[in-house]
Amino acid sequence: MSPNARIVLLALAGLVLLPGAAAVIAGLPAFGSTIAQYGERINAVAPEARHVANMVSAINFDLRGLDTLGEEFMLLAAITGTVVLLRGRRGEGNTERAMRRPGRAVIPRSEAVVLACRIAGPLTALFGLYVVLHATVTPGGGFQGGVILASGTLLIYLGEGYAGWRDAIRSHWLDALEGGGALLFALCGLAPMLTGAAFMQNILPLGTFRDLFSGGLMLVENLGVALAVTGGFTQLFLEFMEETREAREPEEPGEESA
Amino acid sequence: MTAFPAALLPLPVAIPLVICAAMLATAHFLPGRLPDILATLAALSVAVLCGAIAVHAADGPLVYWFGGWEPRDGVHLGIGFSVDEASGWVAAFIGLLYALTFVFAWGFFDRTHGHFHILMLLFLAAMVGFCFTRDMFNLFVWFEVMSVAAFALTAYHLAESSLAGAINFTVVNSLAGFLMLGGIGLIYAQTGTLDFEGIAAAVAQGGRDPVVAGAFCLVASALMIKGAIVPFQFWLADAHAVAPSPVSVIFSGAMVSLGLFGLAKVSAVVFGGSDQVRHALPALLIGLGSFTALLGGWMALLQRHLKRMLAFSTISHAGIMLTGLGALSVNGTGGMLVYVVGHGLVKGALFMIAGILLATQASIDEIALRGLGRGIWPAGIAMGLAGLLLCGLPLGVLDQGTRLVQGALAQQGHGIALAAGAIGAALTGAAVLRAAGRIFLGLGPDPGDEAGAPSEDEREKANRPLWLMLAPCCVLLALDVGVPAGLIEHALPRAASAFLHRPAVETLAEGPGWLPWISVVAALAGAGYGLFRRRLPALVVRPVSATQSAPTRALEVLHSGLIGDYVAWLGVGVAVVAGVLALA
Repeated sequence: MSPNARIVLLALAGLVLLPGAAAVIAGLPAFGSTIAQYGERINAVAPEARHVANMVSAINFDLRGLDTLGEEFMLLAAITGTVVLLRGRRGEGNTERAMRRPGRAVIPRSEAVVLACRIAGPLTALFGLYVVLHATVTPGGGFQGGVILASGTLLIYLGEGYAGWRDAIRSHWLDALEGGGALLFALCGLAPMLTGAAFMQNILPLGTFRDLFSGGLMLVENLGVALAVTGGFTQLFLEFMEETREAREPEEPGEESA
Repeated sequence: MTAFPAALLPLPVAIPLVICAAMLATAHFLPGRLPDILATLAALSVAVLCGAIAVHAADGPLVYWFGGWEPRDGVHLGIGFSVDEASGWVAAFIGLLYALTFVFAWGFFDRTHGHFHILMLLFLAAMVGFCFTRDMFNLFVWFEVMSVAAFALTAYHLAESSLAGAINFTVVNSLAGFLMLGGIGLIYAQTGTLDFEGIAAAVAQGGRDPVVAGAFCLVASALMIKGAIVPFQFWLADAHAVAPSPVSVIFSGAMVSLGLFGLAKVSAVVFGGSDQVRHALPALLIGLGSFTALLGGWMALLQRHLKRMLAFSTISHAGIMLTGLGALSVNGTGGMLVYVVGHGLVKGALFMIAGILLATQASIDEIALRGLGRGIWPAGIAMGLAGLLLCGLPLGVLDQGTRLVQGALAQQGHGIALAAGAIGAALTGAAVLRAAGRIFLGLGPDPGDEAGAPSEDEREKANRPLWLMLAPCCVLLALDVGVPAGLIEHALPRAASAFLHRPAVETLAEGPGWLPWISVVAALAGAGYGLFRRRLPALVVRPVSATQSAPTRALEVLHSGLIGDYVAWLGVGVAVVAGVLALA
């Protein structure tokens, strides 16, 4: 199909859909008019039942914990898939030389950058930990904190250079972190079943409302997510960074195709 | 506290998740074959557990509330699984298909530290969750996990063609994800709940409501994209043809039909109370299904790339399943559920044979392979049998499903759909039998220069003995032929009624006994025509070539491989669904 024919086809489809879309929009509840019954009930029930101030965490890790488990493993699938696709041709090795564009000067790292990274790195990590730990009290949680922690490791690259970064970050550890975190989350679901409770039922002591240690099992699940996200995202950075390195051999054949 | 049989429900999802997470954590320390063994055992345990659940669900659906959040005052707070007998058996079949696929792929992916097995186990867990859930958003989560795992598995070879196929697959199926999420948002905004039963109750009370129809339009389109229904089918052939053959087994055997399984559940259980949806469905599903059956069969006949041929055959059979669904009766849906299992068994076996050819003969091109299969003749027998079963040989599970679907269509007088299904099956059977005759018997003319395949060189690692690859394939065929028809006949009326939430029926009607034979004869004739065209008198050949060349060329132009075209057709498809709903 020529690009024009394609656009005509799509426009015709849009023309048919337009009245339907208008009817749907007109039929929806007015903007901001009501909170759904479901949300209202959760807001009413959860603080008392789970001693948790951050409702988002209560929904993510307790009421609808199974969805989060699924999402966590979707992340794992996405990262494993990316690793498989990026690593497929070049293997797992650590390459020495960066790719260089001929004719472009290599500017040495300025000391100001090194200093800034050395100061900002630990602070970022600390902030990430804070966000992870306060999942049940303030906005944030394992996922958000995990991403902050992972981006903290990027500051090592910025400040210390590639070799320093690869020395500090080991791919095997990242696999263990990612898989271990996801495993911890899944086991948080299975463990309550040993006591006769339901999958992912919150059987730990719930703690006090608005305290760091509130929410019971949610804290453990949150930790699992934080570990998995930190490991996963750092793994992702590492594999994309490897893409900028010069291949050791000119063209390795695809692993499975030979 | 949940009592015994219901307490099993989370396990078939949790076990593969736990094993894949543990495998990732210890990826670098696991000795060579351990991932193969662990993955096979995990899939087998899923199959056994789902079978046990299905047996217990015979008396009534088992319900499980995660986190102990049972509904309070009629408000569903948490996420539930609700498993009826049919869903349980479909999940058990999927577990078994995975176990056999892991055996088939033994040692095939050994250099990647179990990453293949991790993705496949995630894929399995998502499929079981998709079968079991009774929560709209949870359905979406498993739908997406399935997609994400599938994208990476498609591109596994990293050749140019597999990356192109994976990109098309990713874009189209991500759009399906957006549509589904949009539909779920609409239905949640209108009904204030995500639970199947809660939505169903609200929909039944609501009367004619454009928001409900809009939500159904989006969700149904998304599921039909997964189910490769015309005009959403384009991604399937591109993806199935390039994925590693063990992955294609799962794609064709389980993933595509699971999209239609989801459509059956959503349209019967969630939106069944809406008159508008109920009135629109027969015309929509039977029309699209008939068209899909014919188009897929015709395209299959045109292919010389064996996996692409099988992919189009899957499209054709998905169309037949959709016509069964469109009858909106216990008869039709029951037949479709049996068809899902039977088709999965036969098509899985055929993709395994394609994998055997890729590994032992280092080619997938029907014409280049002419006569080269003689050395592995047992695979030829399996392929011949599978081809006959595919076109309707009255034997086994697939045939039973076919006859039930035909019975439902005949009852309601859908003669065109009946004919389209029979012709579609005959066309795909003809394509497979033609390829089997050419490859394993050396029939057909000597290709000469034509033997050079137009596609890039393909092969798969030949590190496994023939018997190891052939054994799972034979088990699949034996299951299709060997499962006693009486068992299904006895359990199906009850199971299909429970699946649809309808009062139980006594018996199910079957289609006319001569119809499958017509398909078989037509398939043999089609295969013979393809192989011996040059020896036939010109009187026969000329009219056929004259009439078929123009539409054939048009079809080939449509399947351009360009993602922009596919998205435009996707828009047309959504518009068709919306239009039919609006007119109902």
